[in-house]
Amino acid sequence: MSLDSNAAAPSAWEKSLARLQATAVDTVLLGITLLMVEFLVLAFSGQRGPTGLLWSAEQILDLLHYAWAAAGGLILAVLWNLFYRQLGVSLGRAWVRGVPEWEAPLEWTQTLRGWFAAVFIELTFFSGWLITELDLLTFLTKFGKAADIVRGLMHPSGAVLHEGLVLLVQTIFLAFMATAFAIPVAFVLAFPSARNLTRNTLTARVSYTVARTFMNFVRAVEPLVWALIFISWVGIGPFAGVLALWVHSVAALTKLYSEQIESIDTGPMEAIAATGASALQVLRYGVVPQVIPPFLSFTIYRWDINVRMSTIIGFVGGGGIGYILKPRVDLGEWGEVGTLVLLIAGTVWLMDVISAKIRERIV
Amino acid sequence: MSDSAIKVEDLGMVYPGGVRALDGVSLEVRQGEFLAVLGLSGSGKSTLLRCINRLIDPTEGRVWILGEEITGAKGARLRKMRQQAAMIFQQFNLVRRHTVLTNVLSGALGRSPLVSSLMLSFTSDERERAIAALERVGLGDRFTSRADALSGGQQQRVAIARALMQEPRLILADEPVASLDPALRHSVMQHIEALNRDEGMTVMCSLHDIDLVTRYATRMVALRDGRLVWEGVPAEFDKATFREIYGEDAQPASNTGF
Repeated sequence: MSLDSNAAAPSAWEKSLARLQATAVDTVLLGITLLMVEFLVLAFSGQRGPTGLLWSAEQILDLLHYAWAAAGGLILAVLWNLFYRQLGVSLGRAWVRGVPEWEAPLEWTQTLRGWFAAVFIELTFFSGWLITELDLLTFLTKFGKAADIVRGLMHPSGAVLHEGLVLLVQTIFLAFMATAFAIPVAFVLAFPSARNLTRNTLTARVSYTVARTFMNFVRAVEPLVWALIFISWVGIGPFAGVLALWVHSVAALTKLYSEQIESIDTGPMEAIAATGASALQVLRYGVVPQVIPPFLSFTIYRWDINVRMSTIIGFVGGGGIGYILKPRVDLGEWGEVGTLVLLIAGTVWLMDVISAKIRERIV
Repeated sequence: MSDSAIKVEDLGMVYPGGVRALDGVSLEVRQGEFLAVLGLSGSGKSTLLRCINRLIDPTEGRVWILGEEITGAKGARLRKMRQQAAMIFQQFNLVRRHTVLTNVLSGALGRSPLVSSLMLSFTSDERERAIAALERVGLGDRFTSRADALSGGQQQRVAIARALMQEPRLILADEPVASLDPALRHSVMQHIEALNRDEGMTVMCSLHDIDLVTRYATRMVALRDGRLVWEGVPAEFDKATFREIYGEDAQPASNTGF
């Protein structure tokens, strides 16, 4: 609905809220910049730690003056936002309120904001290099030790083939059950989690917030952690693995489903509502037909992911092929590990091909 | 009051972003009229039509359909009133993956029992009526096709059959031919005209093609920036009125006869 003129001017309250948001964003960006500069200065200062050795990345991170950086960031952010006419608007202000008209035609090299962003990205890259202790020399010269493993993987041993195949079947079913049980729950949760269906009433908005927050929390917890929880709940074995993958799949599918619902064409919904249909009928006729094919394709993809994940779940006792893989890795039985890895890789490849074919047909 | 189909009083609409779409619009449509709504895109035509069946809730003013107030109506009563006013859309708004027949049947949703309708099941009487409606728009042989297999003009005719299935007393049409090939426009408009002429349905239809307005409408109103700026019959429409509605810079298309 594009309509000209009469857009209400933002109130004084909205203006100061926007200013506050802009300053907060700038404070964070400038504070991080100060910290990264301090980190790099310390890293290249050549100062040695208490043991006489050079400081490690963790030690330097521990030495940084976080409170001072926050205070410095705040002061710089406030100054930048006070003198935005001289300095050009800050990144935070551009983000919160958009780039003002008089600066829109400028290239990034002509604004302080542009240079700040460039320096920020550079600093992030260099500090990242040091914080993660990247070492190209070691990477290129110390391959020898790993050669054993690679040689073992390339000469798979037949000893675990039988057991591996049996557990592979279990793995596939484990992933299947977790996916199957996740579908109905995710389907029901997806509707209250979709922004476009929950705008109108207060209850709908509350249900959206509750559903989204809960799902984000569940998804943020790694399936490995869920596996540990369920192993102590129902004991070691594939059932714990099913439960762990189920919980994670519900959260993941709810998110995918609800995003699909958010991207539907609202026209048919309007048309069905205009016939005097009830809210459930509008969902059934206006929404469901549009989302079924993508839902199916996401679900098959999820099954595929669950097969891969169940290997890792098996490592900690969640059943499936991962369960016998772990002790062989620990013992360095690289030939047997090679067999199991090949079995998993073959299955994942096959599932990928099949799910791609199915998705092709239904979309 | 008894022959009033639609009555709108001081209707105003401000969108949540603060954009004002309608401002103090008052009008009345008598039963059996074919009212055309003119105006530039963005003048508030779509919003006005959607406020009448409450697809959009107006922020100010009141609306009556067939003498009954729809503003403030809720639940079953609102749905009952919506049944009286079928809507036809610029983008047809068919359910693309459903068959033509199911699309037409969905016009009867307001009357069908909830549970069977959720399973896409309809009575044989409803099916017969749906096929009859399709035959009226010349698509009696296409009822098993998927909706998106049809051309634009055919899809709009399916939408008209869906409106027919609804058994409404009035039709709200929002630029029904704007996304169609010019050559097909009259065929769709003639079907809407037939509903008006043969069934006595009141039509309120936004159009931007002056040719179509003068050919089909019995009365016209014009919106500009959300306000009603002109009201009259097609015979009174002239160059000066055109400027008033579309602004000084506007040029009538060469085939409009001005």
